[in-house]
Amino acid sequence: MTHTQKRIVINRVVMTLSTLSAVIGIGFLLWILSVLVINGVDALSWSIFSEEGAPPGYEESGLKHALIGQLMIVGVATIVGVPLGILAGTYLSEYGQKSKLAETIRDISDIMMSAPSIVIGAFVYAIVVAPMGHFSGWAGSIALTIIMLPIILRTTDDMLQLVPSTLREAAFALGAPKYKVITQVVYRGAKAGILTGILLGVARVAGETAPLLFTSFNDNFLNTDMNEPMASLTVTMYNYATSPYEDWQKLGWAAAFILSMFILSLNILGRLFIMKKKS
Amino acid sequence: MATIIDITEEKALEVKDFEFTYAGADAPSIKKLTMPIAKNSITALIGPSGCGKTTLLRSFNRMHDLYPGNEYAGEILFKNKNILTSKEDLINLRIQIGMIFQKPTAFPMSIFDNVAYGMRLQGIKNKIELQDRVEKALQDAAIWKEVKDRLKHDANGLSGGQQQRLCIARAVAVEPEVLLFDEPTSALDPISTAGIEELIVELRERVSIIIVTHNMQQAARVSDYTGFMYLGELIELGKTEELFVTPKEKLTEEYITGKFG
Repeated sequence: MTHTQKRIVINRVVMTLSTLSAVIGIGFLLWILSVLVINGVDALSWSIFSEEGAPPGYEESGLKHALIGQLMIVGVATIVGVPLGILAGTYLSEYGQKSKLAETIRDISDIMMSAPSIVIGAFVYAIVVAPMGHFSGWAGSIALTIIMLPIILRTTDDMLQLVPSTLREAAFALGAPKYKVITQVVYRGAKAGILTGILLGVARVAGETAPLLFTSFNDNFLNTDMNEPMASLTVTMYNYATSPYEDWQKLGWAAAFILSMFILSLNILGRLFIMKKKS
Repeated sequence: MATIIDITEEKALEVKDFEFTYAGADAPSIKKLTMPIAKNSITALIGPSGCGKTTLLRSFNRMHDLYPGNEYAGEILFKNKNILTSKEDLINLRIQIGMIFQKPTAFPMSIFDNVAYGMRLQGIKNKIELQDRVEKALQDAAIWKEVKDRLKHDANGLSGGQQQRLCIARAVAVEPEVLLFDEPTSALDPISTAGIEELIVELRERVSIIIVTHNMQQAARVSDYTGFMYLGELIELGKTEELFVTPKEKLTEEYITGKFG
């Protein structure tokens, strides 16, 4: 075999192996999605959105309590986490830059990003749930905010740093004060990227179960008081899916389907923003 | 020693024993530099890469202050006042001494908003006044005809040459006394370059201009005075035609005849 022939053979082998691996990976993903869609769509009905939880065997049962609880817990986490993350990211990129403090915050935030979410849940349990003496929606939101923060903070930091420094200089050269340079020029330049970070951050926490298990806990009925334990789609799904009752399991599938579609659309939206930015 | 001609006309800026040291550097990048800048004329700064011409240019509007640790020494007089003091109001200084960068720096907003940016910073809110001044600035920058029907469009949709003229319009709109050009055509094609050069020459009637350029022909074409810098020092400052035809310094001669650089 000549050198060239050998090269061609090796090329083919490597290409086949990598293609195969890619197909296997995507195959599992499609498998998960198809099982989810088949079971989820089957379990969907109007009562899912209009009815609260009910004991097994009840005809009229749904996920209204979990959907509303989920929206409230994630909503509060977003309202708190997004401005906090953007402001912190702004500090890192525009003020802290390469300073020791900024670099330390970046390192800690990277570590936090990979911290197991159940650990965050335990932490919030210790500092919020235990002193309060009971589970609450607030505690769930706090846990999700902590998980969301490093994601938004780091994407904001990265996206702001991508804005060319000459653009900042040009604004300064026109006599703009720093806060106006940041809010009027730098933010505009990084708009799509920051939005993507927010979407990915929200998508990440919307699928969390572990930190909610011992913060917001669960409630089988509709509760809109953030001071009380609160249902969420993820915890409800966990409870229903692991129950021995068929109708509850069905509701579990519906919850899984709704949750997946929500997160999937957030991710797709995020990607669309990136694509729009590149074009 | 350096040969620096006396400038008889009024001066826009006067550099006296100026030194500049970048953060963390052992030695100053500009050493004991003294140089007058004539009013309402064009002064070109030429010299090989790293000679300090851009560093000097960016000192005139204290651009170096954006990065911590840089140090100035000596004086730069503007309106008989040293602008290097810590008391200097940088916002006010930069309104009076504008800057055009190497690469076009159109902000991510509409063409109109780009030109209006500096005026809005100064608190001008009157719509009619803004419109009038934006139009005038765009006309001054010879780009009005091309953009008048798409003022609301994103400025990043313009070509490089158009963007650079937009940046000039933006800088001119706030009516500065001095305009600093940092290699304004190095990212542009020859036709856009010719357009920008023409524009710079026309602007001379209203502003004093300092232009850093790598291109000696450009310096010869547009400027009234030329300063040749080498290793952080001003080697020679003279009337442009004299400096290029009969340079007084050997280094200048070697540089403009292409012996080094």
